[in-house]
Amino acid sequence: MSAHTIFLEELERDALTELVNIGVSRAASSLRKMVGEQVLLSVPAVEVMTREGAAVLIRERESGELVAVRQDFQGVFSGRALLIFPETNSMALVHAVTGGALSVDEAAEMENEALAETGNVVLNSCLATMANMLQQPLTMSLPEVLRGDGASLFTLSDENADGGVVLFLYINFAINDRDIRGYIAMLMDLPSLQALKTLINDFIERVAGDVG
Amino acid sequence: MTDLAGPATRHREGGASADLDALRALAGPMLDALAGAGVALTVTDPRQPDDPIVFVNGAFEVLTGYEAREAVGRNCRFLQTTQTDAATLAKLTADLVSSGAASADLLNQRRDGALFWNRISITTLRDASGSPAFRLATQVDVSVEYQDAAVGDQLGVNQRRLIEAKERLRLAQRVAGAAGAWEWDIPSGRLIADARFADLYRLDPVEAAEGLPTSAFFEGVHPSDRMRLKIAIAGALNGAEVFSREYRLISGGELRWVSARGRTYLDDAEAPARFTGVLVDITEQKKVEERLRIAQTAGGVGSFEYLSGFGTAEVSEAFCRLLGLQPASSLPVRTINSVVHPDDPPLIAGRDGHHEVGPAFQEFRIRRADTGEERWLAARGEYQPAAAGGLSFIGVVYDVTATKETEARLRALTQALEVRVETSTQELDRVWKLSRDLLSITDTNCVYRAVNPAWEKLLGYSAVDLVGTAMGQLVHPDDLAQALEKAAGLRHGEPLADFDCRVRTRDGDYRWINWTALPEGDAVYAVGRDITQRKLLEDQLRQSQKMEAVGQLTGGLAHDFNNMLTGIMGGVDMVRRRIAEGRIADIDRFLEAAMQSGQRAAALTHRLLAFSRRQTLDSRPLDVGALAESMGDLLLRTLGEQIQLRIAADQDLWPALADDNQLESAILNLAINARDAMPTGGRLTISSHNVTLPAEALVHSDRAEPGDYVEVRVSDTGSGMPPDVLEKVFDPFFTTKPLGQGTGLGLSMIYGFVQQSRGHVRIESRQGLGTTIHLYLPRHRGEIADQATNDAMNAGAGSGETVLVIEDDPSVRLLVVQVLEELGYQAIETESGRDAMPILQSNRHIDLLISDVGLPGLNGRQLADIARERRPDLPILFMTGYAEQAADQSAFLAARMEIIAKPFAIADLAHRIGAILHKRGGS
Amino acid sequence: MGTTVLIVDDSKLARIVVGKAIAALQPDWNRLEASGADEALALLDCQAIDVVVLDFNMPGRDGLELAEELRGRFPNMPIAIATANVQDEIIARAREAGATFIPKPVTEDGMRGFISGAALRLRSAAQ
Repeated sequence: MSAHTIFLEELERDALTELVNIGVSRAASSLRKMVGEQVLLSVPAVEVMTREGAAVLIRERESGELVAVRQDFQGVFSGRALLIFPETNSMALVHAVTGGALSVDEAAEMENEALAETGNVVLNSCLATMANMLQQPLTMSLPEVLRGDGASLFTLSDENADGGVVLFLYINFAINDRDIRGYIAMLMDLPSLQALKTLINDFIERVAGDVG
Repeated sequence: MTDLAGPATRHREGGASADLDALRALAGPMLDALAGAGVALTVTDPRQPDDPIVFVNGAFEVLTGYEAREAVGRNCRFLQTTQTDAATLAKLTADLVSSGAASADLLNQRRDGALFWNRISITTLRDASGSPAFRLATQVDVSVEYQDAAVGDQLGVNQRRLIEAKERLRLAQRVAGAAGAWEWDIPSGRLIADARFADLYRLDPVEAAEGLPTSAFFEGVHPSDRMRLKIAIAGALNGAEVFSREYRLISGGELRWVSARGRTYLDDAEAPARFTGVLVDITEQKKVEERLRIAQTAGGVGSFEYLSGFGTAEVSEAFCRLLGLQPASSLPVRTINSVVHPDDPPLIAGRDGHHEVGPAFQEFRIRRADTGEERWLAARGEYQPAAAGGLSFIGVVYDVTATKETEARLRALTQALEVRVETSTQELDRVWKLSRDLLSITDTNCVYRAVNPAWEKLLGYSAVDLVGTAMGQLVHPDDLAQALEKAAGLRHGEPLADFDCRVRTRDGDYRWINWTALPEGDAVYAVGRDITQRKLLEDQLRQSQKMEAVGQLTGGLAHDFNNMLTGIMGGVDMVRRRIAEGRIADIDRFLEAAMQSGQRAAALTHRLLAFSRRQTLDSRPLDVGALAESMGDLLLRTLGEQIQLRIAADQDLWPALADDNQLESAILNLAINARDAMPTGGRLTISSHNVTLPAEALVHSDRAEPGDYVEVRVSDTGSGMPPDVLEKVFDPFFTTKPLGQGTGLGLSMIYGFVQQSRGHVRIESRQGLGTTIHLYLPRHRGEIADQATNDAMNAGAGSGETVLVIEDDPSVRLLVVQVLEELGYQAIETESGRDAMPILQSNRHIDLLISDVGLPGLNGRQLADIARERRPDLPILFMTGYAEQAADQSAFLAARMEIIAKPFAIADLAHRIGAILHKRGGS
Repeated sequence: MGTTVLIVDDSKLARIVVGKAIAALQPDWNRLEASGADEALALLDCQAIDVVVLDFNMPGRDGLELAEELRGRFPNMPIAIATANVQDEIIARAREAGATFIPKPVTEDGMRGFISGAALRLRSAAQ
């Protein structure tokens, strides 16, 4: 069996998937408002794997260059959230979010800035909603735009890897009628995972009481 | 420049000429400059009806291929095609009306039919009063810019189609009542569900429709699934959009798997308001999936499914494992193919939708994505035309590294053998003794001179047993002909590689051996490797593929059936409502609709049973010639005027033994195929002959035996079939017709019918010359009974005779009893053998027993035997939907027993009952 | 003298979007932009500003800190915090600082309540 069973019980995994589902739905709703088009989501995948494994997972799906907006979060649990899409989609996304507000030239000029703000809105919506569900505050860093292949997005230069095992969550999204698709991904290291486990179990208890 | 450039002016008409003068007055020298600038230019006159073209320049003629005289007078839209984007056109028109200037890229068509992207820029010239006088449009071919975009668009289209298809299926399920629906009102905490949902959950349907506490959603859910369901629903209630869960429901000791899919809708304040979804019973699907999964994991078989045009393929977990990729349900084709060794063909070809249709097999090397290890894989699958256009490639992969390594070792060994025979007897000896493969040396007459010890280990023969005997004696009879052919090749100095045959062991078992042999001088050196295990695996694989096909077929059929059932249930329901409301004036059309759906369903089951050779055939002596003759009128109408029809029969044609209805249907099907092969007319000949078939003619038949047959020959002068199509025509679901125009069951159904009748089918076809199909039906020895008495029988003539009915299905029972009573019979109604037995064993008078064949407990046939013990003359009529034993009637029925196939028309049932009782009365 | 609104956000795109929403609701208002807290404070020192809309997540001082400081200096100024960080905690802190919380992405609808409230407050203060 895969490694996640060692770290998360089946119910915990389900609950985490749902939390991500709730967060990402909110993020999709934000993105929908920004681009004025329907945003389609996949069911979230939750895996415990090495950073390299996560990079491989994305690289197997996307062989070209990638663009990502990265935001780190800190609190009872910490980690990194990424909005990832193929570089070839980048300008299309910028056009979609700037819509009528900017001319084509203007949009091109502020490509990075627009991507950062888009990532900021999407990732913040997602993380804040999850924090609310878990009833624990999180602080979010400023968004940063990265370019490169899958491997470079997940390697941390400022942290030393603790065996490199991370909790990796990802969701595919696609914007209807535009050829834009990508991923929302989250990485959490092991100490965070322990804290998260506790919060998830609180959530499960609330659910067991609440629903039905 | 003083004149408008190009040849256009030569073709302009009088009216246009006047226009142009006016235009030149307005536009000044700019017009001439533009016209000569090499840019395609059109001028239209919006004051005239439909804004016609009044001028085009030479560059326009070059760009579009239309000459000026063909273009002038028409609206510019003649360049558009059905693919031209309507929204772009609408915007272009709107821009023109609002500002007088517009620009757009339109997909246009040249005179030769070629499509190109035309970047059109239009300006309006206004007259002194400010109203539009002329419109000037420049046109530039910008197709190059769209080449990449076109590919992307096509991809989008394909994906949309797939999504639409899935959506349609989902809707169909819902309409057909297979799915239950719920709506969870989040603020009020009420759950409203439809009757199907209530049924699956064992809830009171009325209460469910009116609203229940939401806790009802969790009642009856298997305890192990309940918490997970709660968590998933908590997600939905808190705004998660996607809800999808499979879980078990337990009710009344019964366990059912259901799949629930739902969606949460937000209110204006973005708070979750409603959580709705559909529930589908997937118990059967789960069982099949589980079996398939076990079959696949056991064999280390990974499966994949690819639709051309897509960048990704659907894959199984085992597939990912075999390639060393992270488990996923879909993978980009590029990723899959990049694992394959660069010198080997890609695993998935046909990405552009062009690939030969049919089975595909290949062996190739991969470098595992995770470990970098090189492995040999084999892929077996089939390229098929896909429903949404393009191609599908569905197949399986499995690891053959071990086999390949053995092969490589063998090659090395063979080479070593050649060298070492000359150099070192000692080394040869070692190889000879230690090899686990069969090594042998024979003379040029293929008589063994020496065999190595592996022969004894593997097959049980020592050198003493074999030396001096000829090769081939141990070969399985079925493989012998081929083996002798290969041996002949060896004698002529041709090396032998990769020949598989079965070899008998001393114990009488057979093992599959793969042979490599090399003639050298006056000897033949041979190496044989045991591949029995691989053959077994291949068989298992074929079996698992068959199961996959069956699974797919079942899904498709369920869909068709659900639609038909919807027609029937809907019609009956409407009638019930109308009757309840007293509006019975037009209930006929609902009944008619229900009846038609029912007949379509009956036809479908019939075709299926015929295909699986399990239909209930009513074989009886038959004058085939007369039957064909009687179809003349029907065929003439079917074939149309362009096709000449000739029906002929040998004089003194033998009677045949077959089911007349099935034969009629077979002939009709063949005639329709023939008609479709002769779209421009031709000749169709149906002739009947006496023939005697020797055993050689029947090698491909599984049930026919040498002897006398009546042949029905259907030949056309149509387009014929190429050999590759000819090979497959009897495959189930094979069809040359476009998708949706036929299930492909036609020829395989005929094949099924003839085989089941112990006959034989042969097909001949030459491309461009026509096709002839020969149906051989077994000869009946004896006279054909005169059926006139049967036909003259009056159906509605009961006079109080007593009929015992045994039928476990209450609605069929109700129907039969009703018919009996209306016809003036007295019916005794029972639902099983247990109920019927006391009556049969009593002294009560019974004139006829009507029984279902498939009953709980004792079946109908067993009951009949028991009944006959006390009442040897009791006539018995069986009713059957499908019963395996009843498929061959002559074996199933004893004297005075008859069978009627469900579904039957009431009139047919009445007719049969009347006939049986009348016969009895007459005897 | 007209009403002046200051939009503080490190993202130019966000400033454009917020500016567009305000222009649609109050076409007559002057709009000023600043890309951070320091720039905003410098503007406030040298000219009269009636309304501010602050981003929360900015380099240097964040929007809430700035809001708290402004509240001290301008007790009656309508202040809004616009952010996609919809955490309950952030919303509560915005409320404590007397600022209106506006979820990002900012839309005309999302802005309407704050802008009309601010307009009303400014009118009554002027009377």
